[in-house]
Amino acid sequence: MSALNRYQKLGATVTAVAFILLIWQIAAWFLPEFLMPDVPIVFARLWQELQQPAFLDGLSGSLGRLGIGYGSALLLGIVFGLVAGVLHFFRAALKSAIIILQSIPSIAWVPLFLILMGFGNAPIIIVIAIGAFFPTALSVMNATEEVQKVHVDAARVMGASRGALLRRVYLPAVTPQLITGAQLAFGNAWRALISAEMIVGFGAGLGRSLAYSGEIADMTGVMTNILVIAILASLIDQVLLEGLKRRVLRYQYL
Amino acid sequence: MELQFDRVGKRFGDLNVVDCFDQTIASGELVALVGPSGCGKSTLLHMAAGLQSPSSGAVRANGEPISGPNPARTLVFQEHALFPWLTLRENVAIALEFQGIPRRQAHPKASEWLEKVRLQGFDDYYPHQVSGGMRQRAALARAFIAEPEVLLLDEPFGALDALTRMELQDVLKNLIRDLRVTVVLVTHDVDEALFLADRVLVFSQRPARVLREFRLAHVERTHDLTALSEERRQILSLLGVQTTSPIAENEEHV
Repeated sequence: MSALNRYQKLGATVTAVAFILLIWQIAAWFLPEFLMPDVPIVFARLWQELQQPAFLDGLSGSLGRLGIGYGSALLLGIVFGLVAGVLHFFRAALKSAIIILQSIPSIAWVPLFLILMGFGNAPIIIVIAIGAFFPTALSVMNATEEVQKVHVDAARVMGASRGALLRRVYLPAVTPQLITGAQLAFGNAWRALISAEMIVGFGAGLGRSLAYSGEIADMTGVMTNILVIAILASLIDQVLLEGLKRRVLRYQYL
Repeated sequence: MELQFDRVGKRFGDLNVVDCFDQTIASGELVALVGPSGCGKSTLLHMAAGLQSPSSGAVRANGEPISGPNPARTLVFQEHALFPWLTLRENVAIALEFQGIPRRQAHPKASEWLEKVRLQGFDDYYPHQVSGGMRQRAALARAFIAEPEVLLLDEPFGALDALTRMELQDVLKNLIRDLRVTVVLVTHDVDEALFLADRVLVFSQRPARVLREFRLAHVERTHDLTALSEERRQILSLLGVQTTSPIAENEEHV
């Protein structure tokens, strides 16, 4: 695989986006407007919506739930993964639990938590956290197996306490895999967020707004929401998480 | 600090690695352990560092049985023991930070030590950005900064080229003379042992037993080892190296 320079990479991304928009526009030419709106119409609607407080409330509502759910899943996943890395029985137990629980689509938990916790933000946040926890914990746990013995021995010889060993040797050593896991977890969290919002239909949010547009057969609204979902996810993954990765793994890029 | 190996034996399952090793290493003495690869010399070092415990007998430091790692007895590994995610300064400072000394005090001290091993100006470089010889200089700085009483060296320069190795041996010799630590050096380089050690112990194949002991404390040493050519010939022949032909006479390694 030959490495592309940044302009070639940008060119590839632009090509992909243009291709997706082209397919959409071709469909719009063949279908009546009320079934598939033109691309420019949807972009114009997006521009209008961005001036609407209701739309912005939905956006911030969704991002808030994502932040809490995804953030707590990352934190718990790191802690569980690291502890599992050093306690072997705990590792085996956690691994089995993850294999069983991971096979359940996170959205399948919605009815349970909706009844348990009532109509509100909590069931959506829990479902996001469930979706994001497993890939995070699994990636950290697997990475602890590859931590070099010589690094652990060196730290022990220098008098590192157990806590210091976890924080200053295990954590930085697993960070590359942790970030890959966190990107995978973000995909899960994002899908869980949108689908849970569509089902729960609580408060303002992207999924809620999408489901509502569907119910009133407003296809321009549907496509606008889908567009926002796609743009936001790419921005968070490619700009935020990739930027974080380059910052944290600075030593690998120098 | 005096190190005492009291009839030490070590088995890994059915594998008898060390068989009744009985030696006392006086405070301030530098003893080199020379022997075939995999004969159990490194295991002796790891026991003295407290990373492994003996199967029989006991290892004592100043009469106290060794129960675990302690920064007073530090170990320098062959290579790759620096943390790749830390700069050279951070790598050296972490030896102090593991002992609870705050970063503010540890960092300036680490810079001083980098200067002592002639690495001034490389504080902010990552290990992969500098040469193998520079990495081992930093590893020495990291070992000495905590002012250990016992220094355990596990083939510290084994991966370096001959010239770099001699340079590092000079650095090490000066540091040891200034700090008067007790040193146990495991090496497969006979010349290194002859250049540095007060006493050389030649080991048999596994299980490790001492074949012969050479006392050199009275000899003034330079890298020109002609004065010790008789000892050199004897050690090499104990290790099974043919020393009669002129080609073998010039052989660097065992």
